[in-house]
Amino acid sequence: MLRGITRRDFMKGMAISGAAVGSAGLLAACGSSTSDSGSQESQTQNSSETQASSSEEQTASASEFTYPMDTDVTLTYWCELNNNVSANFASLGDTPFGQQWQEETGVTIEFQHPPANQGSEQFSLLLADGDLPDMMEYAWMSFSGGPEKAIQDGVIYELTDIINAYCPNLKAYLEENPDIDKMVKTDEGHYYCFPFIRGDERLCNTIGLMLRQDWLEELNMEVPTTIDEWHDVLVAFRDEMGAESPFSWEYTMGSLTDANPFAYAYGTCRGFYLGEDGTVHYGPAEEGFKQYLELFNQWYAEKLLDQDLATLALDQVSAKITSGKAGAAIGWAGSRMGTWLNAAIQTNPDYMLVCAPYPTINKGDTPQMGQIDNRYPNQGCVAITTSCKDVEAAARLLDYAYSDAGHMLFNFGIEGESYEMIDDYPTYTDLVMDNPEGWSVAQSLSAYIRGNYNGPFVQDIRYLEQYYTYETQKESAEIWGATNASKYKVPPITPTTDESKEYSTIMSEINTYRDEMSLKFILGDESLDNFDKFVETLYDLGLERALEIQNAALDRYNAR
Amino acid sequence: MQRWIVITRVNVTLKLVTSETAVLVSEVCFHRREGFHMNNKTFIQRAKKDLRRNRALYLLVLPVVIFYIVFHYAPMYGAIIAFKDYTPSLGVMKSPWVGLSNFTRFFNSPYFFRLIRNTLLLSIYNLIFGFPAPIILALLLNEVRNTKFKSLTQTITYLPHFISMVVVAGMITNFCMSSGLFNDIIVFFGGERSPLLQNPNLYRLIYVASGIWQEVGWGSIIYLSALSGVDAQLYEAASIDGAGKWKQMIHITLPGISPTIITMLILKMGSLMSLGYEKTILLYNDATLETADIISSYVYRVGLLEQNWSYSTAIGLFNSVINCTLLIITNQLSKKISDTSLW
Repeated sequence: MLRGITRRDFMKGMAISGAAVGSAGLLAACGSSTSDSGSQESQTQNSSETQASSSEEQTASASEFTYPMDTDVTLTYWCELNNNVSANFASLGDTPFGQQWQEETGVTIEFQHPPANQGSEQFSLLLADGDLPDMMEYAWMSFSGGPEKAIQDGVIYELTDIINAYCPNLKAYLEENPDIDKMVKTDEGHYYCFPFIRGDERLCNTIGLMLRQDWLEELNMEVPTTIDEWHDVLVAFRDEMGAESPFSWEYTMGSLTDANPFAYAYGTCRGFYLGEDGTVHYGPAEEGFKQYLELFNQWYAEKLLDQDLATLALDQVSAKITSGKAGAAIGWAGSRMGTWLNAAIQTNPDYMLVCAPYPTINKGDTPQMGQIDNRYPNQGCVAITTSCKDVEAAARLLDYAYSDAGHMLFNFGIEGESYEMIDDYPTYTDLVMDNPEGWSVAQSLSAYIRGNYNGPFVQDIRYLEQYYTYETQKESAEIWGATNASKYKVPPITPTTDESKEYSTIMSEINTYRDEMSLKFILGDESLDNFDKFVETLYDLGLERALEIQNAALDRYNAR
Repeated sequence: MQRWIVITRVNVTLKLVTSETAVLVSEVCFHRREGFHMNNKTFIQRAKKDLRRNRALYLLVLPVVIFYIVFHYAPMYGAIIAFKDYTPSLGVMKSPWVGLSNFTRFFNSPYFFRLIRNTLLLSIYNLIFGFPAPIILALLLNEVRNTKFKSLTQTITYLPHFISMVVVAGMITNFCMSSGLFNDIIVFFGGERSPLLQNPNLYRLIYVASGIWQEVGWGSIIYLSALSGVDAQLYEAASIDGAGKWKQMIHITLPGISPTIITMLILKMGSLMSLGYEKTILLYNDATLETADIISSYVYRVGLLEQNWSYSTAIGLFNSVINCTLLIITNQLSKKISDTSLW
């Protein structure tokens, strides 16, 4: 019944916009989405009725339900293809993982992938077009207007009824983990996606500082823990080891620059954080940020920071750090440290990187702030769109990942092929760890599992224990995790639908201004005497209001 | 994506004149005008008669007219979202009207003047330096007597036109790094290494110069073909009269190709403010936003990355209005000065 309605409405939309479809993008787009929001509303209502009635049927037949499902439906699934997958496969459906998932659930999936790095653009265009895939994997909290707006606009289904009816596994997980449950719904208590969840706190500390251990030994120096020690080490790297750009990282990559350990050292950061007073603060407007900028300005002038800071991308940083032109970086223990070690050790067997703790100002202090993800990190979550042809099949397909069998598939792949159970411990086989085709571990893992990046499932710490092959990587969680970071982490809050447009308008201008000015301060194009003016401008752009919205959202979150 | 951008910008006027089909259209108009002068009947009668007389021509232009209606005029209705708070689920018609608030927001934006300034300056530099470059190249090539050398040069100068913008931008980025090729050259001449793409003062130079490098050969084709149309007897006569190469160029070659030059100039003026966002978003970074950020890259950021469709459409519309105005002004000026114009 549900299937019929959705399909029919969809066809009606197509008919209305029929003339336009052939002609031009926007016109067609608007035509079909205009088709009628009225019917979309009634459709939502209808569907919840359907769900209600079918949930009764469901409880009757729940005990009988087994995978694989007996269905011939083909569902479309939109997601960005991870770099490690796209290196060897054109589609997630071509990977052993993708095929196994379809086989075990009995649902045929047609994967749709946007071109690399055009995820948000393509997402935007799909929305404007209105004819959505059945399931969409996206950072749904970043949906313009927030997830609640996506539900109200009729883009995606509110999932409460659907979860009750078809998703016993996810439901059980959320009931067992109320803290996660609180994160994955809106202030109104609506579920909107099948979430990506980090199954262990240790999976949340992923970014930190690393530097050349072999150089430190050669220089007879310790791993630096304070800012002054860092300065000495970088100077030694520059003068004695001949590093052109001692400290180099992908400045243009938001997630790394957001986690800048030297800003944390001054008790601030590039974005929002939770202050000691329990309210949301904006780092760049605070005094600590000036100190951080002064430090980096000085380091840049002393040529300790990479001189090409503003244009650095991964390939350049990788080339520098593996060839000895750079000696320290910010990065992930897996996709950066591991990759660099593998590449560099081949030509230089002495090459070794070591994780450095989050720096402090005074020797012996415990670092307070640091990078930490929320357990629900707002990536790789899947929503069911209102264009979905068969909601039950989609829900059951996605719920499978939260079952025991699905958990193993998403984190370890296929038993006997990508992993073996050895002493009750799922151990990756050589097919993955030492791939015969010469793929890197990250790439061969990506063919069999989703555990090494993200997706709609609960991530297992046992994947990480094996993914990190070097001792120094394994230490990373402990070294980088030795902060009070979670105390300062803003939980996954969302502005209300009404406020969100105002909020995003303000913040897009504030963030552009912040990024531009931070870089100018660091490069020395702008004197730090103007820092107060910079803060003033932040407030002129509406920072006060943005903080107000954020704090109200925090209050609502705490009240959930 | 491209389709969407083009449509929201509503560069209809621009499209109409850039296409060669415009020539056809104007030809039909010309015939019609002739017809109009001949009698004093009502418009409908005249139109009917004209339609009969020039049946074949109207038929010829029909597909073009349909093309423009379907692909350029019809989508224009989407531009009304500039005056609305557009939400895809409500659609164009049902989204609430918000009047001029999207425009007010743009005019009050702290980046407004900067965007206009950058777009204008880059366009003007492109015009001043980029427009004469292919003409000069064509004139130079025209004087080359060694055909092998001539065609080799032509081929080499065309080639960059066929390289994808992404690749070109990648090359520029790498060459401009502090360890890159350009810095090697600077150091060779006793300069100091510095990351060139991080310097807002150099951005426009890099942008315009790389544009010339990429397009100069391709752009010279049309002038070369115009040059081949100049009557060889004129040169003969001039040389008999004692005119040297320079005099010949000033008095024969340039006047000979001036209609082409003026037509190209008018076309270029029409697109003066419509710099594409592709090259900009590939080359700019936070350090050079001050000189690099232009209207189209801003539209790309707010419209496509932040899903603020109405606002970006309003900016695009504003941009189109300026383009259209510039086109009309240039055309009028050129009509006055040189008797060459598009309509």
